[in-house]
Amino acid sequence: MLKKSIEAVGRYFLFLKMVFRKPEKWSIFWRQFIKETDKLIMSSILIVGVISVFIGGVLVIQTASNLENPIIDKMYIGYMVRESLILEFCSTMVALILAGKMGSNIASEIGSMRITEQIDAMDMMGINSAGFLVLPKVVSVTLLSPLLMLMSFALGLLGGWLVVDVTQIIPTASYITGIKSFWNGFYVFYGGFKMSLFCFMIASIAAFNGYYAHGGSLGVGHSSTKSIVITSILILMSDLIVTQLMLY
Amino acid sequence: MIKVENLNKSFDGVQVLKDINVQYEPGKCNMIIGASGSGKTVLLKNLIGLLEPDSGDICYGDKKLSEMSYYEKKSLRQRIGILFQGSALFDFATVLENVMFPMDFFTDWSVSEKKERARYFLDKVHVTGSDDKYPNELSGGMQKRVGIARAIALNPQYLFCDEPNSGLDPYTSILIDRLISDLTKEFNMTTVVNTHDMNSILEMGDKIGFIYKGSMLWQGDKNTILNTDCQELRDFVCSNTLARNIIEGRG
Repeated sequence: MLKKSIEAVGRYFLFLKMVFRKPEKWSIFWRQFIKETDKLIMSSILIVGVISVFIGGVLVIQTASNLENPIIDKMYIGYMVRESLILEFCSTMVALILAGKMGSNIASEIGSMRITEQIDAMDMMGINSAGFLVLPKVVSVTLLSPLLMLMSFALGLLGGWLVVDVTQIIPTASYITGIKSFWNGFYVFYGGFKMSLFCFMIASIAAFNGYYAHGGSLGVGHSSTKSIVITSILILMSDLIVTQLMLY
Repeated sequence: MIKVENLNKSFDGVQVLKDINVQYEPGKCNMIIGASGSGKTVLLKNLIGLLEPDSGDICYGDKKLSEMSYYEKKSLRQRIGILFQGSALFDFATVLENVMFPMDFFTDWSVSEKKERARYFLDKVHVTGSDDKYPNELSGGMQKRVGIARAIALNPQYLFCDEPNSGLDPYTSILIDRLISDLTKEFNMTTVVNTHDMNSILEMGDKIGFIYKGSMLWQGDKNTILNTDCQELRDFVCSNTLARNIIEGRG
């Protein structure tokens, strides 16, 4: 078990070496980059947006219900919602959602190409199949996922505002004051960095599992499940490490 | 020319290929034949470099495959065309884009030049009017033909076909066999076909190597295969009714 795990880690890094070889043609790389951005990032906007709005609303209600002490200013509810969103929800929670959506998409796409010999066909043409199939995905999600995080942040705040405005659980002015108070720009960088790191892991681990899938359609399903489980665990572990390193 | 010398390959202690020696010549359809599980596909995968032999050499011209650098192998692979058993057409690309795919990577031709050339080869394999269809919209025979067009799109020196007739009806099988045979002669390619289909063997076998339990038991051509003394080969050949009738004088 341990030997197999160590072997898999070694193979993963060798796989990354293949992925990060210089592309055969930059024009083809950029064409694929745009396609993958559309497929992985643009298509995630809706799910991330919907979840963010609802979570923003829920956070407001939960925080308000826990801060009913009259000596604590209501504006702290807005402040705490903002900090929860930027520090954890918009990067880690969204990444966990994307691990399911993007991860299964990438692993099953590459896995089915493997079992139908399409990857062998590319290799036999003298094309670096790992570079062609995986590099645009990894670059796209690593570079552009912080934009998803920012969108999630904005929509989370909007969701909170909608709940505040509709229910008047706290005065709207207090919520607005709260989300504008004690602003720390480093947290945006911290959240964006985490999101990039997590999405890099999602794309590369899912691609790795798909690339070495075997055993027909069952193998593809297995590689997809495996990549989601491994990525989710690694996201939470690296969240702890990055937080310790960057915030303390 | 491809030369195989003393090739051995085993998996988990089971020897799958035993001391294979064979030469494949240009302008000929060289067949690897044998029953399922005899080692044909393993030999083919060794030839194209998808598997590495345990010992022995595979030479392309006078250069050993095992001594080639990454870039030499890459350059060699650009001179190789392969038709996979399941065609291996790219799902994400149309018929025309599939045939243009290797051109996109290895030529600086304009899009119109690439399209013109792709259509030329699609015409050669008798696939017309399907440029914008995706592989899942094509029949098995059409997929094979598009696979052949893609394999020969850059005028390869070597063409490898892994069971080109599997899953096809007899009529389409003959069309594919003739196509491979004609293209081999027209472009003077070194073609290696892996099959267990007797009709293909009798149709195309300019040179035939029979593999039995991992060993190359017999080598000859389509004219001598029916008169062989090799009992294992006779048993294999006689599993086909037509060939059995010919051997027994009833053909």
